[in-house]
Amino acid sequence: MTTRTAALSALLVLGTTLAAPVTFLSVQNEDQGATKIIGELAREYQKTNPASPYTYQNAPQTDLAQKLQLLAASSSLPTVYNIDQPALLGQLYKTGQAADLEATFKKLGIYNTLNPAAVALIKRQNDGRLVTLPLELNIEGFWYNKAIFAANGLKEPRTWAELVKDAATLNAKGLQPFAASGDQKWPLTRLIGGYAARKYGYDVMDRVKAGTLKLTDPGFVEAARAVQDLGKKNYFGKGVNTVDYATAVDQFLQGKAAMIYMGSWVLSDFNDAARNKIGTQNIGLFNFPAVTGGKGSTNDWSLNTGISTAVNQKFNDADLGNWIKYVFTRYGNKALAESGMITGFTVTQTPRNLPVLTSLTQTKLKAVKNGYLWFEANFSPKATSVATDNAQLLVTGDITPQDYMSKLQDALK
Amino acid sequence: MTRIAPAPLAERSGRPHPLAERLQSVPLFVIVALVLVVTVYPLVWMLLSSFKTADEFSGGVIWALPRTFSFDNFVRAWTVGKMNLYFVNSLLSVIPSLALVILMGVGAAFGLEIMRWRLKTSVSLLFLLGIMIPIQMVLLPLFTMYFRAHLLDTRWALILTYTAFGLPTTIFFLTGYFRNFAREIIEAAVVDGATIYQVFWKVVLPMVMNSVVTVALVQFFFMWNDLLVSLTFINNPDLRTIQAGLLNFAGQYGQREWGPTFASVTLAVAPTVIVYLLLNQKIMKGLTAGAVKG
Amino acid sequence: MERTLRDWRAITVFVGPALLLFVVILVVPIVWSLGYTLTEGSVIAGFHFVGLSNYVRLAQDPAFWSALWFSVKYAVLVSAGQVFFGLMLALLYSFYLKRSSVLVRTLVFLPVVLPTVAVAQLFVKLFAIAPQYGFLNSFLHAVHLDDLVQPWLGQGGSAFWVIVVMDVWKAMGLYAVLLYTGLMDIPEDTLEAARLDGAHGWKLTQFIILPLLTPVIVTSLIFSLNGTLKVFDSVLALTGGGPGTSTTPLTLYMYKTSFSYSQYGYGSTIAVALTLLCMIVSLIIIRRSREN
Repeated sequence: MTTRTAALSALLVLGTTLAAPVTFLSVQNEDQGATKIIGELAREYQKTNPASPYTYQNAPQTDLAQKLQLLAASSSLPTVYNIDQPALLGQLYKTGQAADLEATFKKLGIYNTLNPAAVALIKRQNDGRLVTLPLELNIEGFWYNKAIFAANGLKEPRTWAELVKDAATLNAKGLQPFAASGDQKWPLTRLIGGYAARKYGYDVMDRVKAGTLKLTDPGFVEAARAVQDLGKKNYFGKGVNTVDYATAVDQFLQGKAAMIYMGSWVLSDFNDAARNKIGTQNIGLFNFPAVTGGKGSTNDWSLNTGISTAVNQKFNDADLGNWIKYVFTRYGNKALAESGMITGFTVTQTPRNLPVLTSLTQTKLKAVKNGYLWFEANFSPKATSVATDNAQLLVTGDITPQDYMSKLQDALK
Repeated sequence: MTRIAPAPLAERSGRPHPLAERLQSVPLFVIVALVLVVTVYPLVWMLLSSFKTADEFSGGVIWALPRTFSFDNFVRAWTVGKMNLYFVNSLLSVIPSLALVILMGVGAAFGLEIMRWRLKTSVSLLFLLGIMIPIQMVLLPLFTMYFRAHLLDTRWALILTYTAFGLPTTIFFLTGYFRNFAREIIEAAVVDGATIYQVFWKVVLPMVMNSVVTVALVQFFFMWNDLLVSLTFINNPDLRTIQAGLLNFAGQYGQREWGPTFASVTLAVAPTVIVYLLLNQKIMKGLTAGAVKG
Repeated sequence: MERTLRDWRAITVFVGPALLLFVVILVVPIVWSLGYTLTEGSVIAGFHFVGLSNYVRLAQDPAFWSALWFSVKYAVLVSAGQVFFGLMLALLYSFYLKRSSVLVRTLVFLPVVLPTVAVAQLFVKLFAIAPQYGFLNSFLHAVHLDDLVQPWLGQGGSAFWVIVVMDVWKAMGLYAVLLYTGLMDIPEDTLEAARLDGAHGWKLTQFIILPLLTPVIVTSLIFSLNGTLKVFDSVLALTGGGPGTSTTPLTLYMYKTSFSYSQYGYGSTIAVALTLLCMIVSLIIIRRSREN
């Protein structure tokens, strides 16, 4: 090799290490939620660090799993990516395509920007490892229309029996008790999971994973039957399985349905004055009620950290470190101030005019004793499909609670 | 024997066709009106819906007219939905694929049906089997191949796939055509001393032009409606095709904005309709003058 | 003559490019995929050889059989519908509307050029029950048949028919034009001779027009079955295979198994079954058309 070509290739190598582009593969549109905040911060960073240009890529949610498989197979995953399968993420961690963020954040000296509760939640879902970013911190529960409740003499129900009774009262007056998107399926299984958590305690699904509880145990069948009953009595309204997400939320926001079980990510819709016809002051939140003979407590809440977002270990060098440091020390404040989003990053400046529902959610979050994950969080993708697909048949009465649970138990193997 | 294409039936019969006479009792107007309503009403509804707000999708009756003719949805479809871009992307992958499929397909059909060689039956059979292959069968190996060849996120990935998957039907169709009509003419031309390439360009191509229109139409239908290939091989949102782009207005939790969705659909459809209306006469003329023989 | 038609170089020029592309993009990946059917695992976790166990599993998998049944049922009905309505429209164009058929032909053809995803989104709304009644339910309500108002897409049985209706609606214009072309090709002499023999109306259609049109009908059927057996986007965009898995065709089951469940070996096995199905159907039609 001549000196000239050596110098040239050295220059080329140098050139490639200097350029540290960051690509974010997201299921959200570029102007929505966490993707918007990250995009804005990354572009800010790019102004002073032109060698780290930011690119946004999008994969539709329905297509994400396939996309990740293919990208991972050819080891061409982008720098930061959404990932909706914990099992796949575990494999990616082992093959060096997902970073250990605890180590990364500690090395950068910014581990204290992470909310410990959010970290614990992520670790529980990923075999004790912090492999995703807590871009959101969501609390789930029943949001209800205070005016409708007051007009019908109802109070926040504390037990499942009270909830069903309230629903019956509303239904008798021609009001739809619950809005639910059966088209999305997961809003239905959330109810089964919530019931099970009240029956067996917040660690119920961890025990299922460990094999000490079986989904065919009577408590689970009872949970499935309880949800099926709501469907059979038409408490979800007409054609629940065709109701898409936006429709369900609109039914609630237009006062056509008294309650909706949903995570706090829905606040962005609640805060949209054009869509919210009932007013934010008029919305309350209560936790999943207690069930007869249950071991769970209503101080336990269903929590999640939004769609899992991982960082590719392949690109996890000093340059990316600087980028991470810049973006994620600012992320929590910016998300709260601009979008009223509650995230798993600590907030150092609380904005003065926080939307009322955001404050409400924050209050509830502070009181959480134990968090539990959603019903399918520990399931394989196959078992998740079985759980969600059959939930549609469950609420229409096309499958018995026993069948539902035994099919699901079979799919866990 | 040269086959003279007969003039279209309808234009030949000066008097009403017997079939028409016989069925005159059925009110023609009703049938035609029904056909038109069934076809056109959903499209008109789609256009009107693109002006509706989220509220109007959840309240009122379905055939209500939009309350205002606001262009907000279109603005959102245009800026966030990038429908203009997706339309161009679709065109830029479908048109070259069509050209390639036709060129390669006519050549191969000619070679397989007219030329004489030992393995031609086996090769024909191989192509025939290709008709039946579902694209899912090859998705993962193809992805790996394209990745290694640095063709992912390029239009070439789409063009190569569309072309390869279009070839079997094209060849099947055109060999059928050559089998029925072309052999004698070609043999006569060869006897007259033309080279095989001259025969191909001067005799064969002009002769199949009409069937080419038909083939192109069917291939266009399949390529334009592809979702799987473009979803799989294209990551970059700026290279997305219409079908993949339309999946856009659903968010992380399954939120769908119906107004912008229908505005996007309208924007996506409008240029197609205009192009189609402009070319329509040509397409139909080509079709009616051509022959579809299996 | 013989020498010209046996020119190896010319044969290479004509067939070579198509064959090369075909082999690289189709044949090689198929063999590759066939290899996957003997393995278990995923692209990330790696593959290991499991012999024929995927095929054994396939034979015993109720989800596979129900998807297969759905695919067959769907393909037969939709292809029959597309070609039947195409034929009816073609007869309408050529015998009723004659020269004035241009406008009708154009309008009926329009849905053909619409993206399937768009059409599906449209049909979701037309057959909706909530938040507002879709077209069908509004109609039933208007004529006081409220008992019949139902979530058409929320029940396996009726969702199947919505998919069928949509796919027939979308493609009948294409087949109408193809068949119209065939009708134009029937020589007037033949029709005239038949008329002199006393064939009129339906008799003429049945004994003269349909037999002469058979090759075109067969071609249309092949095109149609070729598309419908591989149906993917309309189902995905309209029902996502639900409710439950009641509208899941083989293609979607294969896609989910491979890409959502990361079971590539088993997914490829389902793809092999789908390929065999497509082959059997196409071969039957091609054989019958050759006999004619």
